[in-house]
Amino acid sequence: MKFISFIKLAAATSCLISMLSLAEINLSGFASINAGKVLSGTGVEHYGVPPTFLADYPIVSAYSEEWDMAPESLFGLQITADLNDGLTAIAQLVGRGVDDYSPKFEWAYLSYDINENWTVQAGRKRLPLFYYSDFYDVGYAYVWMRAPADNYTWQIFNYNGINLMYNTDLGDWSLATNLYAGKEEDKENKLLGDFFFGDTTKEIWKDMMGGVMNLSKDWFETRFTYMQYTNERDIGGEQVMWGGKDSRDGKFFGAAFNVDFDNWFILSEINRLDLEFDGNLDTNMITFGYRINNLTPFIVYSSMKQKGDGVIDGENHNTTSVGLRWDFHDAAAFKIQYDDVKDNSHDFAVAGDSKSLSFGVDLVF
Amino acid sequence: MNAYKMLVITMLVLSQSAFAEVAVIVNSANNNNIDGKLVKKIYLGKTKAFSDGGKVKVYTLPSSQDDTEYFRKKALKKSNSQFKSYWSKLAFTGKGTPATELDTAAEIIAAIKKDPKAIGFVNSNDVNDEVRVVLNY
Repeated sequence: MKFISFIKLAAATSCLISMLSLAEINLSGFASINAGKVLSGTGVEHYGVPPTFLADYPIVSAYSEEWDMAPESLFGLQITADLNDGLTAIAQLVGRGVDDYSPKFEWAYLSYDINENWTVQAGRKRLPLFYYSDFYDVGYAYVWMRAPADNYTWQIFNYNGINLMYNTDLGDWSLATNLYAGKEEDKENKLLGDFFFGDTTKEIWKDMMGGVMNLSKDWFETRFTYMQYTNERDIGGEQVMWGGKDSRDGKFFGAAFNVDFDNWFILSEINRLDLEFDGNLDTNMITFGYRINNLTPFIVYSSMKQKGDGVIDGENHNTTSVGLRWDFHDAAAFKIQYDDVKDNSHDFAVAGDSKSLSFGVDLVF
Repeated sequence: MNAYKMLVITMLVLSQSAFAEVAVIVNSANNNNIDGKLVKKIYLGKTKAFSDGGKVKVYTLPSSQDDTEYFRKKALKKSNSQFKSYWSKLAFTGKGTPATELDTAAEIIAAIKKDPKAIGFVNSNDVNDEVRVVLNY
């Protein structure tokens, strides 16, 4: 009996080895080691929030008046198994300072190139709502310390589902599109549970359906995005009801325009989430930057404003930031940024006003 | 004597790198019309095929080599770090696979000789008639 198990094991192992030998496995990754502190801040007295800079809403990267390296430091590892003939399996493990670097699978999916234009993917992926959503963790890929916090506030940032991509040329223009559908059930949502409601919050976004269209040509790029979903929520074991229903619908619309001309660049985004019983949540961002050899100074303004019927004192905050990226190495950049946050709401105050300084190194390998 | 030899070699190397160009090469059986715009799109992952179809296999020399930096600057209008930053966005979001890196021009030529769907670049001094040069930068 034992012998048979051994043979089975040996057979399974040799199968596995031969499977592995078919695949070409590549490791790549990214890391950010950042530090920051609040120089001055009001906090939100009526909610018992001390002076805080919420640098990343979904994962609750909160800086306080003490220097801290945990909030935004992270280490990511991507494993790509190329199984030939257009089939790849990709997983991304990310360990974050805010979670004591315990690694989590943020991405785990199969990708199949049907031909040179069409690709189909299935599994766990990032939700491509905003322009920077799906490479939010890869600080090296953008100029700032982080994608503007006022915009990138949504508590759900992954989905499990399928994604169909189509790429083609339209004359001198390049078109990249994708359509996706899926669901995410986050049993202990960090932003809602830890930061807003103070009790375990289960957040479900289901029947998600969305599309992204990206058009680019030399120095110009534009991206349009749409996504609709149905939201269910459970706080402390109790189902949240909206107008007598246990679910509500949300629709997300967005557009981004980027201009990169010689050494100048402008990055911009306008987005709206139309969420039943919460009105419209508008997020906007504009960045100006200029490259001087390896140095890229930049300035950013970003805002989030809640509007709509019955919304009197909705969420309303904005940030003005200045910073510098220094590409001191081919695969690493040093960044430093000063952020001035204004939180204008009383009832929906998030973290109050704050002025903060943060710096760090982003790298890819 | 030795010092003189060294000087001559150094000068030769310097003059080579000063006048050398970078040649974009494909398999000699590849008859597609390939211009600078297409080269740029291929190396930025926007186009994945030549006009006669089939997936392009893209090769590059390592970032640390001068020819690579020169090619990126001239053909793609990107510095090494801009190029790497651009590709890290695609590579970590499942939108593209970066070019396969080979250490030497000889290896790139050998790979392109074998594959009608391959493209690469090498220093123009390293080109031989086993491959087709489509552009010089």
